[in-house]
Amino acid sequence: MTSGMLYGGDEIGALVFDIGHHSLRVGYAQEDSPKAEIPAVVGIAEDGNSNAVPQTDAMDIDDKMPDSNITQNKYFIDTTILHVARKGMEVTSYMKDGMIDDWDLFEKVLDYTYGKSIQSQSELHPVLMSEAPWNIRGKREKLTEIMFEKYNVPAFFLVKNAVLAAFANGRATALVVDSGATHTSAVPVQDGFVLTQGIVKSPLGGDFISMQCKQYLQDNDIDLTPSYMIGSKEAVKEKEKPRYVKKKVIPEVTQSWHNYMTKKIIQDFQITALQVSETPYDEKAVSSIPSVHYEFPSGYHQDFANERFHIPEALFDPSVVPMRGGVVGNTMLGVGHIVTTSVGMCDPDVRPALYGSVVVTGGNSFIQGFPERLNRDLSMRIPASMRLKMISANGCSERRFGAWIGGSILASIGTFQQMWISSQEYEEAGKGQVDRKCP
Amino acid sequence: MGDVQDILGLERPPTPELTKEAILGSSDKLKKKQMQMSTPKVSKRPEGMPREVFALLCNDSKGVPPVFPTDTGQGYKQTKAKLGMRKVRPWKWMPFTNPGRTDGAVFHHWRRVADEGKEYPFAKFNKKVPVPSYTDDEYNQHLQTTGWTKEETNHLIDLAKRFDLRFIVMKDRFDKEKFTDRSVEELKERFYTIQTTLTKVRSTSPPEGKPYVFDADHERRRKEQLKRIYERTQKQIEEEQSLVTEYRRIEARKKERDKKTQDLQKLITAADSQSENRRIEKKLPKKKLQQQLTRPRVDTVAVESTGIKFPDMKGSGVSVRSQRMKMPANVGQKKIKGVEQLLQELGVELNPMPTEEICTHFNELRSDMVLLHELKAAFSTCEFELQTLRHQYEALCPGKTLDIPVLSESQTVSSSENDGGKQKINLEIIDVVGSPGTPNSSTHLN
Ligand SMILES: Nc1ncnc2c1ncn2[C@@H]1O[C@H](COP(=O)(O)OP(=O)(O)OP(=O)(O)O)[C@@H](O)[C@H]1O
Ligand SMILES: [Mg+2]
Repeated sequence: MTSGMLYGGDEIGALVFDIGHHSLRVGYAQEDSPKAEIPAVVGIAEDGNSNAVPQTDAMDIDDKMPDSNITQNKYFIDTTILHVARKGMEVTSYMKDGMIDDWDLFEKVLDYTYGKSIQSQSELHPVLMSEAPWNIRGKREKLTEIMFEKYNVPAFFLVKNAVLAAFANGRATALVVDSGATHTSAVPVQDGFVLTQGIVKSPLGGDFISMQCKQYLQDNDIDLTPSYMIGSKEAVKEKEKPRYVKKKVIPEVTQSWHNYMTKKIIQDFQITALQVSETPYDEKAVSSIPSVHYEFPSGYHQDFANERFHIPEALFDPSVVPMRGGVVGNTMLGVGHIVTTSVGMCDPDVRPALYGSVVVTGGNSFIQGFPERLNRDLSMRIPASMRLKMISANGCSERRFGAWIGGSILASIGTFQQMWISSQEYEEAGKGQVDRKCP
Repeated sequence: MGDVQDILGLERPPTPELTKEAILGSSDKLKKKQMQMSTPKVSKRPEGMPREVFALLCNDSKGVPPVFPTDTGQGYKQTKAKLGMRKVRPWKWMPFTNPGRTDGAVFHHWRRVADEGKEYPFAKFNKKVPVPSYTDDEYNQHLQTTGWTKEETNHLIDLAKRFDLRFIVMKDRFDKEKFTDRSVEELKERFYTIQTTLTKVRSTSPPEGKPYVFDADHERRRKEQLKRIYERTQKQIEEEQSLVTEYRRIEARKKERDKKTQDLQKLITAADSQSENRRIEKKLPKKKLQQQLTRPRVDTVAVESTGIKFPDMKGSGVSVRSQRMKMPANVGQKKIKGVEQLLQELGVELNPMPTEEICTHFNELRSDMVLLHELKAAFSTCEFELQTLRHQYEALCPGKTLDIPVLSESQTVSSSENDGGKQKINLEIIDVVGSPGTPNSSTHLN
């Protein structure tokens, strides 16, 4: 027996793509973390008008539309180039509701990925991609088509990201709680198959929390000026009005790009300051916990105490969301509720196995105290006879890249190599087979 | 040593070849090797390898002397991995086909050159669950049933193949738009019926073993039950919990009461048999009594577990008669003290002259005293319980008083002298109300 047999691994040089609203993660199978994480937004500007910043080593693909010679678009992909202020650069996402929506933009990102991140030819590497568990047939077929027709991949496979996250945590049967950017979902997985009838999701994800933070910070007149506007600043005392000088020359940036930059500040605040209370939010209990100091790019800084807990409480108890402009918080489900509802829709025979491995994944589950609170909420809700076990990888990349790592494992397992849709098969049976071959 | 030789460039004896066995081999082989090692045989350093690197790989047993004297012999050095000096086996990025695939797709992977051309090692894991298939004729003849069209049945079989009989996943992926929404049980029932029918129809010889019969109704009920268990509300669970604890408490109380009744019963029998004995003695003519008394009566006097069981002196050889009056060792100090006190009160000598008669009577007396003591204690506990029950009753139904039938002396006597049947009834009263009758029975013994 070869040593490969010992571990059941057989690596065939496959690439793994994990597609999310926040970012696209890409890398080689059998590695332990993705080679690149690329934001899921693309900057678009009309060519010729772009700022004089040279983009020698950045990717800029010219839209070579033969019929439209009036608007030649330039695309700005990946963090470094995207964060440069440019006149008229709009920021758009190619994702919608967990699925790919703007195929042209997505292809641009794929081009960039092969050219700059992987630096290899697409014909050489089989591709395993993750997808939302609720992805629809049309989109799956379209993606298959693009990969085979445009990128000439030798083989392709689509797996639901919940399944991959379960695999990454060593489970074939699990209830996967994925709290990403745009949503939090509970997805039952049995023997590596998603039980589609039990999927429950709510729009309470990282972006929602960012929105709440923004609302809170704006309500308290905290200056959120992004650093691209700040030329110099002076140190001020806590809670004092920031003193900074704006940059003299700022390109005429678009509102969408400005918002994107502001969101980055808020996301940093969110990562640094927020924490989920271990028990349902209680003003008194929480006030005894030390506050966290945070300084914004404008130089403004202060201690944050109760609001640190109050904002993310919405994840577990949406009724705390202040009602504003028609958004009624309490019609949504908290994370604990999502999980119990999901399991409740599954066959009674699988419920113990699902509660026996609740896998927590997704970047938003990184808010401090998230798994602990979920554990507490669940143990209060589920029948006493049911054993509850929560699995949440501790390492930062293990949990944030849960689905990617699962894909990395799957694509490099010897017994998986017969599952691929090969280019031969695609030629014979077309894109329709993706529904059968990738259940 | 080796180092010095090396530095001086002295020639060394040839190297013993290091094999895998040297590292992983069985213990006696290892021992042999060690013995070999201890003989002055030193590995040869390959040309061009730095001395330090070689020392890491191949340390002879008589290397540098330890700084501290040790008594562990070779110590940790023994466990030092001695890496094989074999030639490396090269790997190659090579194309392969997987017999598990039907399309003959060619992928590339790393493999040992030596393994080139061998079958793909993971192909043997390509196992499939056998799923029955049928011809149109077979379907029309045997498999038609109400509620299932052929198309839907085909869909079911297809799903079974795709998901390897994972019925829960099959149910999830069942085409609900085209057909109806089927439960897991319906799918299983249909599938297993097809399977058993087909095996029955196709087999020419009578089938060996029992065919698998799927009891859909039973499954449905089981699931329903399971669902109900899982879907209990917190309140229901709490209610059940409290009921269970209440039940346990009642059980425990019942046990306790049973035990008490038994104890009382014992006391009563003891008292009865003692008084009976007395009566018999009185009735017996003096001569007969004398005759009887000539035989040692120790064992008859002793009543089971109540009173004092004086030892039978028979068969223990020659002994002093006063020995018979000695309190047995198993009587508690407290009891002995009580008896002594009572004897003093009654003006009875503590150590009377041990004549035959005195011996017997003295023992009897003391035994009775203990019994009396126990009966009194039982009586007072009963009395106490009765009082508490009365208070409880009055607290629960204010304004009412609990009438406790006071049994007259004669009644008690009759009841206690009566046969077991009557006593049973009496005991049942004890069980419910407390113990009004029985303790009174002790009064006549006073
Ligand atoms: N350390 C952290 N603490 C708190 N939040 C974090 C942390 N790291 C990332 N996040 C949040 O997690 C979200 C991104 O999560 P993730 O990468 O799982 O999303 P995604 O899979 O791309 O999106 P989706 O699942 O919605 O398609 C962002 O909203 C980000 O603010
Ligand atoms: Mg995600």
